[in-house]
Amino acid sequence: MLENLFKFMVYPGFLFSGAIGLLAGWFDRKITARLQWRVGPRWYQNFMDIAKLFLKETLIPDGASRMVFFAMPLLAIAGSTLASTIIMVINQTPGVTFIGDLIVVVYLMLIPPLALMLGGFASGNPLASLGGSREMKLMLSYELPFLLALVVPIAKAGYSIQLGGIITYQALHGPIFFSISGVLSFVVMLLCIQAKLGFVPFDMPEAETEIVSGMYIEYSGPALAMLKLAKAILAFALPALLITLYFGGIIFTASGILMSVLEYILILLLMIVIKNTNPRVRIDQAVRFFWRIPTALAVLAVVLAYLGL
Amino acid sequence: MNIAVDFLLYAVAVPIVAGIVCLIMPEKLKILTKFLALLVTLASLAASVRMLLLKPLYWPPVPVPALIVDNLSALAGLGISFFALIVTVYSFGYIEKNNGRYFGYLLMTLGSALGAVLANNLILLVAFWGFLAVLLYLLVTIRPTAQASASAKKALIIVGGTDALMIFGIGLLWKISGTFAMEGTRVPLNGVLPYAAFLCVLIASFAKAGAVPFHSWLPDVAQDGPASVTAYLPASLDKLLGIYLLARISLNLFIMNGISNSILLIVGAFTIVFAVAIALVQHDFKRLLGYHAVSQVGYMILGIGTANPIGIAGGLFHMLNNALYKSCLFLGAGAVEKTIGTSDLSDLGGLSKYMPITFISFLVASLAISGIPPLNGFFSKWMIYQGIIESGSGKNPFWIVWLIAAMFGSALTIASFIKLLHAVFLGRASERASRAEEAGVSMTLPMVILAATCILFGIFAFSVPVSLLIAPVIGKSISYIGTWSPDMATALIAAAVLLGILVYLLVAPRKARVVSSFVGGENPERFDRVAGTEFYNTIREVKAMGSLYSKEESRSFDIYDLSGKITALFTRYLQKLTNGVLPTYIVWGLIGMVVMFIVFFIRG
Repeated sequence: MLENLFKFMVYPGFLFSGAIGLLAGWFDRKITARLQWRVGPRWYQNFMDIAKLFLKETLIPDGASRMVFFAMPLLAIAGSTLASTIIMVINQTPGVTFIGDLIVVVYLMLIPPLALMLGGFASGNPLASLGGSREMKLMLSYELPFLLALVVPIAKAGYSIQLGGIITYQALHGPIFFSISGVLSFVVMLLCIQAKLGFVPFDMPEAETEIVSGMYIEYSGPALAMLKLAKAILAFALPALLITLYFGGIIFTASGILMSVLEYILILLLMIVIKNTNPRVRIDQAVRFFWRIPTALAVLAVVLAYLGL
Repeated sequence: MNIAVDFLLYAVAVPIVAGIVCLIMPEKLKILTKFLALLVTLASLAASVRMLLLKPLYWPPVPVPALIVDNLSALAGLGISFFALIVTVYSFGYIEKNNGRYFGYLLMTLGSALGAVLANNLILLVAFWGFLAVLLYLLVTIRPTAQASASAKKALIIVGGTDALMIFGIGLLWKISGTFAMEGTRVPLNGVLPYAAFLCVLIASFAKAGAVPFHSWLPDVAQDGPASVTAYLPASLDKLLGIYLLARISLNLFIMNGISNSILLIVGAFTIVFAVAIALVQHDFKRLLGYHAVSQVGYMILGIGTANPIGIAGGLFHMLNNALYKSCLFLGAGAVEKTIGTSDLSDLGGLSKYMPITFISFLVASLAISGIPPLNGFFSKWMIYQGIIESGSGKNPFWIVWLIAAMFGSALTIASFIKLLHAVFLGRASERASRAEEAGVSMTLPMVILAATCILFGIFAFSVPVSLLIAPVIGKSISYIGTWSPDMATALIAAAVLLGILVYLLVAPRKARVVSSFVGGENPERFDRVAGTEFYNTIREVKAMGSLYSKEESRSFDIYDLSGKITALFTRYLQKLTNGVLPTYIVWGLIGMVVMFIVFFIRG
């Protein structure tokens, strides 16, 4: 129990994942700034932002359901940390099972957006309600291709839903990414993760210029810091899941770790480029998009995977 | 008579007799019916626990007994008694008038349901089964409004009509096996007759549980009937009974094969996605829940259809879990409706401040039905997914379709509960909602018990419900292909939440102040309240979904309306034959005699 608590709270859980996630946030800001011919922040800027939020006062909107409003950021952070811990621990020891499998991880990753929506609703702000409804619709739209794409690694790895099993399969047969169905399903996953992290063009739930950050609108101080941290942890866990499923996982040797870092940066870079070269779409366009092109691609990937390609 | 010997007889007969006593109780003693109901339901729960501990039990002690307790019926019986007790306690606060009749029907339902699951004789089963359909009608019309009567009639016709099919199926079964006894009968599906018998009984179980296309009575009853009745019958007992029958025929009575399992898988997958997609755009609190009561059946059917131990175990566990959270949701809906007087979502909102206990139990049940770990709904869905994936390793590519239907259905479930939680408990309070009060103890206590059971069944799933209740039914050992330690996960999540609370306590109280909410700098009062009923109209704009919704709203999928139309078509022609002119009838009689004569003549 104490050992697991350490894994959960320090390494590779909360502190580690959070730190990497915040660094990824800095990377995003820096690249975006460079693309716009700006200088961009220093590497510790996101850490300072979080620390500052913890020192700020808390504003409670009148008419809010306070208990839900303050409980939900905690649930969000717990859910994303647990998912991240499971992914990393299994990457360290693929032969040993730890807390959950792929299905558990996928469901744990639903907790942060769910908690964010409920927390936003609890504030009683109409703009938060709008943002929440957009977030939910976005979730419905990307969940279909996401689940379909998820079938590819499961089927390829011999009907295994164990993350460890998928890693061992790839250690023997080469990464799943090195096949047509693998590439297709990876592309679909990447688009879904873009939406899961609320990056442009799928940032309509937050849409600062339209609905003033939507569900975040009434959050301030420590509660906001926790929501930001939960998101940062997801920004680490989701690409780590992709690396696990498609690139053979993280191998804990010097070269293996370097390789994984490069893969992580590559995934981030792809997302940041998509983010900086596309305008925000409307929610109905996003629903149509995800239910057409990525879904079709994912179905194709599943069929190809079934044919052994 | 000896209680130990005739224990099973008493378990079935006492509630029914007590129910009749309640019905004929004189007006002045009506108050006693409550206590009688509480006493009998408590005794029933004790009896069910005894059955679970002492199984197998037989009555009477002859080679072909009429009542049998085996693992499956002990499981169903325990559920039935538990929900009868929960609903009885809830009804003390919920039902104001008609005490005697209401509690009388409630107890008779309990007795009949126990009779149906303990029956070892198919005729006995059908008798109890039919009795339950009538009791459903009587309970739904306990508040005799026009809509309630119409919905109850619809339920009676659909459930009763499929009962007729079941009788037919049992007749066929008797022709095949030559016995009405259920124990020991194993019919292989190897011809037209066995398939016909199987389908007839299958349809009866589908109609009882509310699977598509026999579902249309359920949302209507949920909307118009009293919430306690919906929580009692369609949400819990009918699920237990329908899935009990399904499990009984597919595990014991018939030897399943690829085709019969495929029927289950197709119906299950379709039910999940179809019903939950319709639920997304509902405007009525109870009707929305009604569609979910349909959708969840799909998971149970899907689980049993996978035909491997883990899938079947998942299906049966989902049956228990669904009964737990779904009745909790309906009881919550009843509490809200009682204090506000409406179940229209656009008139509710912001209730979490006024009804905190109802809200917390409702939230837990919502998260459980959405399959959020570590609650019980996640556990049984997780087992069913494994069942589906395992069935896929037998080179049947359709497992992907079933898996996606089940998992995407789960996402749709989350979506409609997000909408429901927003429209009822969160967001800004409507004018009506701000006069709400928390329900009394007799109503909140059952909800809290159900919500707590949802949490406990999730955390201790391996050690308590699965190993004590489900595994004995399966007989074989359940092999998990996945990993999930809900207890460890819960401990870690709890640690994180505790730490977070500590951070709040350290930082927050020094610097917190209440401000009015920020709506882009405008006066928040001038903004309309977002009720949340229109959340998913974007989904309606997607072409395929839009046509689905308009077809459902015009009742194109309603077997009740469809069969009404078909009947009307037949009667249009048949009524020409019955024109009241005597010679016409005589001619028909003569033609019939000639046909019979020819038939018998040819057959010699």
